[in-house]
Amino acid sequence: MAVINYDSELRRAGAHSTHGWRKLTYLAQRHLLGAIGLVIMVLFVLAAVLADFIARYDPLSVDSLQRLAPPSAQHWLGTDSFGRDVWSRIIHGARISLAVGVGSTLLGSSIGVIVGLASGYLSGWVDLVFQRITDILQALPLLVLALVMTAALGPSLPNVIIAIAIPLIPTVARVIRANTLALRELPFIEAAKSVGMSETRIALRHVLPNTLAPLIVLMTAQLGSTILTEASLSFLGLGIPEPYPSWGRMLSESAAEYVRTAPWLVIFPGVAISLAVFGTNLFGDALRDILDPRQRG
Amino acid sequence: MFAYIVRRLVLMLVTLFGISVIIFVLLRIVPGNIVDILFDAAGFVDQADKANLEKELGLDQPIFVQYVKWIGGLLQGDLGYSYVSEKPALQEILPRIPITAKLAALALLFSASIGIPLGVISAVKQGTRLDYALRVVSLSGLSLPSFWLGLLILMASVSMFGTMPIFNPNPATWTEAFAIYAVPAMAVGFRSAALTMRITRSSMLEILRQDYIRTARAKGASEASVNYHHALKNAVLPVITVIGIEAAFLIGGLIVTETVFNIPGVARFLVEAIRWRDYPIVQNLVMLIALVVVVTNFTVDMLYAAIDPRIRYTD
Amino acid sequence: MRSVRALTAVALSLFAASNVAALAAEPKKGGILKVYHRDSPASASIHEEATYSVNIPFMPIFNNLVMYKQDVAQNSMDSIVPDLAESWAWSDDKKKLSFKLRQGVKWHDGKPFTSADVKCTFDMLMGKSQQKFRKNPRKSWYDEVVDVTPSGDFEVAFNLKRSQPALLALLASGYTPVYPCHASPGDMRTKPIGTGPFKFVEFKANESIKITRNPDYWKKGLPHLDGIEYTIITNRSTAILGFISGQFDMTFPTEVSIPLLKEVKTQAPKAVCVVEPVNVSTNIIVNSSSPPFDNLDIRRAMAMALDRKAFVSILFEGQADIGGTMLPAPGGLWAMPKEMLEKIPGYGPDINANRDEARKLMAKAGYGPEKRLVVKVATRNIPIYRDPAIILIDQLKSIHIDGELEVVETANWFSKVARKDYALGLNLTGNAVDDPDQSFYENYSCGSERNYTNYCNKDIEKLFGEQSAETDVAKRKKLVWEIDKRLQEDVARPIIYHSRMGSCWQPHVKGVTIMVNSSYNGYRYEDLWMDK
Repeated sequence: MAVINYDSELRRAGAHSTHGWRKLTYLAQRHLLGAIGLVIMVLFVLAAVLADFIARYDPLSVDSLQRLAPPSAQHWLGTDSFGRDVWSRIIHGARISLAVGVGSTLLGSSIGVIVGLASGYLSGWVDLVFQRITDILQALPLLVLALVMTAALGPSLPNVIIAIAIPLIPTVARVIRANTLALRELPFIEAAKSVGMSETRIALRHVLPNTLAPLIVLMTAQLGSTILTEASLSFLGLGIPEPYPSWGRMLSESAAEYVRTAPWLVIFPGVAISLAVFGTNLFGDALRDILDPRQRG
Repeated sequence: MFAYIVRRLVLMLVTLFGISVIIFVLLRIVPGNIVDILFDAAGFVDQADKANLEKELGLDQPIFVQYVKWIGGLLQGDLGYSYVSEKPALQEILPRIPITAKLAALALLFSASIGIPLGVISAVKQGTRLDYALRVVSLSGLSLPSFWLGLLILMASVSMFGTMPIFNPNPATWTEAFAIYAVPAMAVGFRSAALTMRITRSSMLEILRQDYIRTARAKGASEASVNYHHALKNAVLPVITVIGIEAAFLIGGLIVTETVFNIPGVARFLVEAIRWRDYPIVQNLVMLIALVVVVTNFTVDMLYAAIDPRIRYTD
Repeated sequence: MRSVRALTAVALSLFAASNVAALAAEPKKGGILKVYHRDSPASASIHEEATYSVNIPFMPIFNNLVMYKQDVAQNSMDSIVPDLAESWAWSDDKKKLSFKLRQGVKWHDGKPFTSADVKCTFDMLMGKSQQKFRKNPRKSWYDEVVDVTPSGDFEVAFNLKRSQPALLALLASGYTPVYPCHASPGDMRTKPIGTGPFKFVEFKANESIKITRNPDYWKKGLPHLDGIEYTIITNRSTAILGFISGQFDMTFPTEVSIPLLKEVKTQAPKAVCVVEPVNVSTNIIVNSSSPPFDNLDIRRAMAMALDRKAFVSILFEGQADIGGTMLPAPGGLWAMPKEMLEKIPGYGPDINANRDEARKLMAKAGYGPEKRLVVKVATRNIPIYRDPAIILIDQLKSIHIDGELEVVETANWFSKVARKDYALGLNLTGNAVDDPDQSFYENYSCGSERNYTNYCNKDIEKLFGEQSAETDVAKRKKLVWEIDKRLQEDVARPIIYHSRMGSCWQPHVKGVTIMVNSSYNGYRYEDLWMDK
């Protein structure tokens, strides 16, 4: 394990210019795909935040005269079997996906960080116990665990976030632990110890900041997979319940009835999921290249 | 090495034990149990009948007793009875395994046969447009939900052939067998293929940079020989790891894919059993899945050690 | 002009001739009928379940004492024919119903059928026997039966507390097969034995159900088919595509939704399709024991805000019926006349006027555009429940009620309802038999298990008894209309609509009759045949 060389690339970029904007454009050029990913992500965040303004209709409002209308100037992406506007539902669905994605990634990662830090830094029996728990959580596929958890907790937004967050813990904990173990042996930690800094303080002040780069890389990668998991859960009918417009559930309902008669109901929610995940993946890839060039693909 | 194997085996048992406890407890903190679901169709729950049924199924016993009974049975190969079908759980689970196993094997085969060559090409042609395109394709593979991909395939099949495959345990023709197994396997394997490709590419790149490859080049080995003989052989190692990790992901993918394609395998059976709160089925299936994952990981590690003599396990 | 007429005449006579030929065609023997099944039933035991997911595949295994004639679409007293009973007779005081049983009938395992089997079956249904069903959803059907007494091997009598003409209708339902004494309830759930035209072969959960021809069936020459195979496909789109592409001879009966029906019509124009009422009503259960719906004004306002036509047009493209508790005409036998129905608050044709009225009631209760009433609308996590709930919530907005959908998992639904943990609930009520006894007692009688709202009105309860004992059909109808009207006015359980569903089969399938006032009784399938 080597020292994490997290901002080497930024520094390299900085060597060319001292101006922040130039730095950004340099990065954007060098990581075109990442920039595209970032743009996609920003668009999705904007859609989620500004849903009330962007959506042209109330996503829940039923219109018996406009049922299963194909895409048109009036309804950009058509309407569903209740005459609800698909565009508005997808825009509002971004909120759900984002809430689940960000919520569960943050929740899972923060617990993962604590577990990883404690495990790596304290060692001994704490490490042993945490390691076994991570083993257990990792022996089950994410979706299986999330399925059982939502079944146990009941389908609701917070429960789905929890159900998806828990399987994330071990992945994060593993990475943080490995980094902590490596860092612990480094001279500056030894130095901190020798001047009598408390263990907790060392962990928070010196170890944690140095694990930030791999953590950010990991979290971006997880963001996509949490969005996918939520979609799968909802597709299976165990995710976010009505009335929230969740992309996965929009798909599962149209898949049951309208594959032929109203293909737009199958295509657009799927495009939304794929695009959102694709954006985070593109961005995550570039971020990894920048922050953690060792793992560079 | 021997000590390491023993240690790993013990840890595997600990993990499986932990899973059995977690799954058992999780299922029992759920409000509403199988009895409520069985009464569902009746339109009401008769409290006396419910109590009788709970007794019949042993649900009235303390949770600890229930757990010991289950594990005790499991150790003797007795998986208990399905609450819903009242048949032995083993009899319900066993016939579904080959279906899912076939799908999983085909998906892995697909992912390796697509992912490895494309990964190699991508690495060899690093920085070219082809490399760029392949990377975007592989990223999209990680972004498409497999159930959506499955749906799109079905939609395409319907609009092109006017029909779509409906599962039949004994396909009559080769084309039918292809439609029933290979198509869903591809839908689920697309993601693994993408991942395999990415890993192959990055490990190829790393190895191509290494000294012995340079040496080989310097010695006048042809470019093709360097790429395919020396580099690929070493790059396969991480790919094996990926396939190990993918085993777990694959099961997740199979759950939705079996649902989309209406395939009566174990993966979909799990979802159905969760819906029915059919504890014996859910518990045993989850244990089975965990066992597959744990054993795969173990095998991959052993394989790794066998292939790569540089790795020593002393931990 | 004349030539046209002549041509028409020729065409007509030709048509008639071909029709006669079709009718006269001798049914062909053999063939396995392939049908898809909409879901995986919990068990194979008809008596223990209450869904036609069980009736449809397993009814062909059994016989009843009496049954509804399978080729008459409208179930009525007049369409009841002998089955295992050769004949029946009411005593003079109408308190005893006796049956003469058919001799020489054998169970599928070769044991003879006798009156003891009848007694076993009904004792078990009444909860009187040693062996118990796991669940017994229709126990209340036999509340008026004192006991069942065999005399000799081939005679059996039902002794009643009071006259109840409707008992015969209940016995004719697909829900009332005769079970053998010698098979345990557990066996009947997993490998049922009957006397019927088909024998049970296997039931693989989530996969398939297979039954095969009973060569020793007591009706000579029947059944025509060699067997029936059900493939379980829960995804409706997949299932219908299977039918369109010819992999199935028939859809699951009464399961094709209107949008999918359109698809069948365009993709498989030769298929024969019908859309019939299923006698399942979608209704609102109102928690009148706690605020806000303990206030009759708010209950009335809600009932008046309903735009039933909009429900029907969104969910059924117009093909569903609006009525009270009893299934509307022409399918139903007991529905009140239209003029009477339209006088009930909320049923009038002018929706805007109704809603104005409703808003006044809301204002009286203290709610308006400034102070909106927020309520939870609970329903089950199943599309046929959820979909109308979404529309209901949308409609309630118009009278200042903000409904919040709460989706409840199957496992928790009935306990939630029993706890009264809801304000409004969206519910489906299926009626096996188009008879007031069944629907009134089950859903509105004080203390009935399926009376979710615990609606209990002693006056109406008295009327239930009166209509039930009434032997004059015309008089009984009048009583039934009055009861139905009062139930609606009390907003006991407002009925939104009675759904209709489609059934399709390939043109080579002959002898299918989809019943118009019940979706539980028409699946004996002994005279179904395939022309290929």
